[in-house]
Amino acid sequence: MTLAVTIAIMVAGGVYLMLQRGMVRIVLGLLLVGHAANLLLMSAGGIFRRDQPLLGINPPDWAADPLPQAFVLTAIVIAFSIVIYMLTLAASGSDDDTEDAS
Amino acid sequence: MVLLTLILVLAATVLSIPLVERFMGRNTGWFAAAVLTALTVLVAAQAPQVLGSGEALTYSVPWMPQIGVEFHLRMDTLGWMFTLLVTGVGALIMAYSARYFPAGRRLGFYFLMTLFAFAMTGLVLADDVVLLFVFWELTTIASFYLIGLSGPTASRPAIRTFLVTAMGGLALLGAVVLLVVRTGTTQLSAILADQTWTQDTGFVSLVAVLVVVAVFTKSAQFPFHYWLPDAMAASTPVSAYLHAAAMVKAGIYLAMRFTPAFGDVLVWNAALIAFGLTTAVIGAVFALQQHDLKRLAAYSTVSQLGFLVAVIGVGTPEALVAAAAHTVAHALFKSALFMTVGLVDHEAGTRDLRDLGGLAKKMPVTAGIATLAALSMAGIPPLLGFVSKEYLFAGLLGTPGGPWVGVLAGAVAVGAAAFTFAYSFRFVHGAFFGEPRGERKADQEGTHEAPVTFWGPAALAALGGVLLGLAVPVLDPLVNGVAQDTTDTAADAHLLLWHGFNPELAMSALAIGFGALLVWRTASGESYAGRPLLPVDGPSVFERLHGATIRAGRRVGDLTRTDAIAFHLGAPIVLVLVLAAPVVYFGLDLPAPAGQTSRPLDWLLVGLMAVAVLGAVLTRSRLAALALIGVAGFTTALWLFFLGAFDVALTQLLVEVLTVVVAVLVLRRLPRTFHTVTRRRSALTAVIAIATGLVAGAAAFALTGRRELSPAAEYFLNNAPEDTGGDNVVNTILVDYRALDTLGELVVLGVAGLIIISVLGSTNLLPVNKGRKVTVPVANPAFESAPNTVLMRTVAKFLLPLLVVWSFYLLARGHNEPGGGFIGGLVGGSAFALTYLAASSDASARIRLAYPAIIGSGILVAIGSGLLGFFEGSFLLPLHAEIPLPGGDYYHFTTALIFDVGVYLAVVGVLLAALNELGLDNGGGAAVSAPPSPAASGGDRGGATAPAGTAGATAVEVDTTTSGGAR
Repeated sequence: MTLAVTIAIMVAGGVYLMLQRGMVRIVLGLLLVGHAANLLLMSAGGIFRRDQPLLGINPPDWAADPLPQAFVLTAIVIAFSIVIYMLTLAASGSDDDTEDAS
Repeated sequence: MVLLTLILVLAATVLSIPLVERFMGRNTGWFAAAVLTALTVLVAAQAPQVLGSGEALTYSVPWMPQIGVEFHLRMDTLGWMFTLLVTGVGALIMAYSARYFPAGRRLGFYFLMTLFAFAMTGLVLADDVVLLFVFWELTTIASFYLIGLSGPTASRPAIRTFLVTAMGGLALLGAVVLLVVRTGTTQLSAILADQTWTQDTGFVSLVAVLVVVAVFTKSAQFPFHYWLPDAMAASTPVSAYLHAAAMVKAGIYLAMRFTPAFGDVLVWNAALIAFGLTTAVIGAVFALQQHDLKRLAAYSTVSQLGFLVAVIGVGTPEALVAAAAHTVAHALFKSALFMTVGLVDHEAGTRDLRDLGGLAKKMPVTAGIATLAALSMAGIPPLLGFVSKEYLFAGLLGTPGGPWVGVLAGAVAVGAAAFTFAYSFRFVHGAFFGEPRGERKADQEGTHEAPVTFWGPAALAALGGVLLGLAVPVLDPLVNGVAQDTTDTAADAHLLLWHGFNPELAMSALAIGFGALLVWRTASGESYAGRPLLPVDGPSVFERLHGATIRAGRRVGDLTRTDAIAFHLGAPIVLVLVLAAPVVYFGLDLPAPAGQTSRPLDWLLVGLMAVAVLGAVLTRSRLAALALIGVAGFTTALWLFFLGAFDVALTQLLVEVLTVVVAVLVLRRLPRTFHTVTRRRSALTAVIAIATGLVAGAAAFALTGRRELSPAAEYFLNNAPEDTGGDNVVNTILVDYRALDTLGELVVLGVAGLIIISVLGSTNLLPVNKGRKVTVPVANPAFESAPNTVLMRTVAKFLLPLLVVWSFYLLARGHNEPGGGFIGGLVGGSAFALTYLAASSDASARIRLAYPAIIGSGILVAIGSGLLGFFEGSFLLPLHAEIPLPGGDYYHFTTALIFDVGVYLAVVGVLLAALNELGLDNGGGAAVSAPPSPAASGGDRGGATAPAGTAGATAVEVDTTTSGGAR
């Protein structure tokens, strides 16, 4: 429930920003939606088990699902590379406006 | 074996044409004719087995065994007949071509013609529906190029022909797919023998309609008939082959081949008979109207094909006997007729009836050939065309659906045959008899008979019609075999020239009588020639439809043809909402949650997130929005930590820091506030955003967390230490179990870094915003950047080595404890970010490491460690070794660590690229370019602007507080 509420807030904010004009706002919206997607992945793994999957410390009985964690770790880094690329586009050319002035 | 030889020899001929043609030029026709003649003899030699004992030849070799498709060839009587036509008529036309063309190279023509012969042979022998389709399409493609060969004027006709026949090909593909899915086999003979699907009326009708479309487009039946006269743009030998033995006969073959399955299907009978007879009539009427001999012959083909299609549609053994006999007759007289058109055109310089006439005196042999062929076409005894037309009438009288239907079909056929007689007369009389006409009368003085090498092939075809007419009983085994193959009923037909007084004879007499009357009343068609009978013609209808289709497509495309990114981003979001609506409306039946998914402390994070997101949405300051999104990112990291994902949380935290650093470098080049948008737009986007948020939240609540641990997770948790020697399960997944994913991700990261470098290599960054000055007195220690940054620099000096060492440590321990290549790389990258931020000027901030090389080496190291895996069998398989330590202990070494080093290097390289390229005023220029000129950096400082880096960021922060407060 709590995680779902968080996701709802992030997606709403992210979508609002993504539908604006400036590239920077779009990037910020993408960041938010990206975070939300990562949390959704975590949620898909089942969040009632919350022990760290470090078998040197914890027994596997209550360890969280490690697979979404690996996915999310990968996703974070890819999202980062996309974001810095989009920021580069925002800062080159004339302005970060994506639409004709009207 | 014979079948394989046939196919292989034809394929080899096609491939050898480029070489042969180099030496023989137009005489390549003799070579091709020799090959085809030999093959004709080979095929004819199979008659005792195929026709005599009724046993089909088969050959089979696996082609695509995974989907059960075989290269399966089969030659029954039907296949034998068509193979013989393809090779026999092919040989005649190849020989004819050698003299039709002026001396010179004819590579394209001979290559495509032999390819055509190959494709047609494959088509009529294929006993696998997939193979059949492939050869069917090959004939379409070959005909497209053959027509297009005739130069620029032929390009539209070629395209029109291609599109129409390709449409039929798609219909055939649909039929093939349906049949394969339904019957589970691709073998044609097995499908046709399968009774189960032919009993299902709906299914069999659907397949029949698809096959009908394929037949009609290929065999030029109304309303697709126009492509055949349109394709007259092709050279005469091409037309002769297309019309007599290939291409259009492919449709006839397909219709006959599928008769066993569709013979009793109402839609099949009705469509074939109705459209076939319509085509027969309009083809004959149009033929009588033509001035151009070639177009006359083309419309005549349309008409004859109509007869064939109609009689195949009747589906009785008698009808199929007639279809087989008429196919042979038509192949002979039509090839001869087209070849005489070529002879006339060649010798008299025109094929327009208005300029011809009286050629019989100059070209007696050609006139004789044309007369024989035309007599056969008109159905005059004792030629083969007479016999076959008698049987056509008999077949059509047997049309199912009641006696009056048969009479009606017979009457229409007699009408078409009368026109056939008339246009046959027009062809011969107009060209060869009477007085020379038109402006070219004078030219005829020099006209003389063509050499025997030129008219020889045409004479053979015409004589074939005479001999087979006189000795027509020799065709009995053939036509009875075809009837047996297509109707599964033994037909005991005895073809005879004279078989007593019967309705057919009366019909023939009527047709000839009406035809003669028609000739008399219309001055052999002259009084109607050239007059448009219909307000539209095929090609212009096609062009209109074609243009309309293209315009409609463009209009659909216009919906998305905008530069506004919001539109492209919004469309899929709205689509998601549309898809979600029915789910929300109808609700879902959900299992109970698998456990307690919420904990009290979580609400703290929810509140934090709500504040951060709300602030980020409302603020108009770019920097404030960035900072608030940063807060959201940190909250996400906390969430991850709460969920037991320590590695991920750490990564998220570091990425968040670095994102903000990079974003600040960009923001200082942009205006301080966001663009304004209209109130209406804000309201609309808010509605979409809130709806999407609700749907996403509901989906997260309803669709996740309702099952136990997945089997994959169970496996990883229970086996990771044994499999990999690592306790940190997440890291073992990244570098051991799913290392290929990680490698892919690494490449994406590296490519992003390289793209940034190249984008900035081609466009300039926006200049740093000079309007954002911080005014401080000269006496203030912060005025000069060097003293201003002294504190940061001192801290950085000590922190930097510590960070680097720590990052190595994190890298090394990743397999067992939180850490690994990503986290290590991010920590290492932040060390560089720190020195960068602490630098007092652009010059000292510049990072002089060759970061493209670092990115590349990271990817190479990762791939290299993957290649090591081949020593134990597969790419990226980690190798393990126990290295003894002093003190009796062992260090567990794995090549996964080397892989992680690659990850580390790539991450650091990309971070360096981003800092250097985006941070410096004029871009980094790929790390090793010349240092910036002192004047440029001096200018920065002289204006008391904060230098790049720390002071810049500080200045920005000052702004934020004020503008943020104002908001």
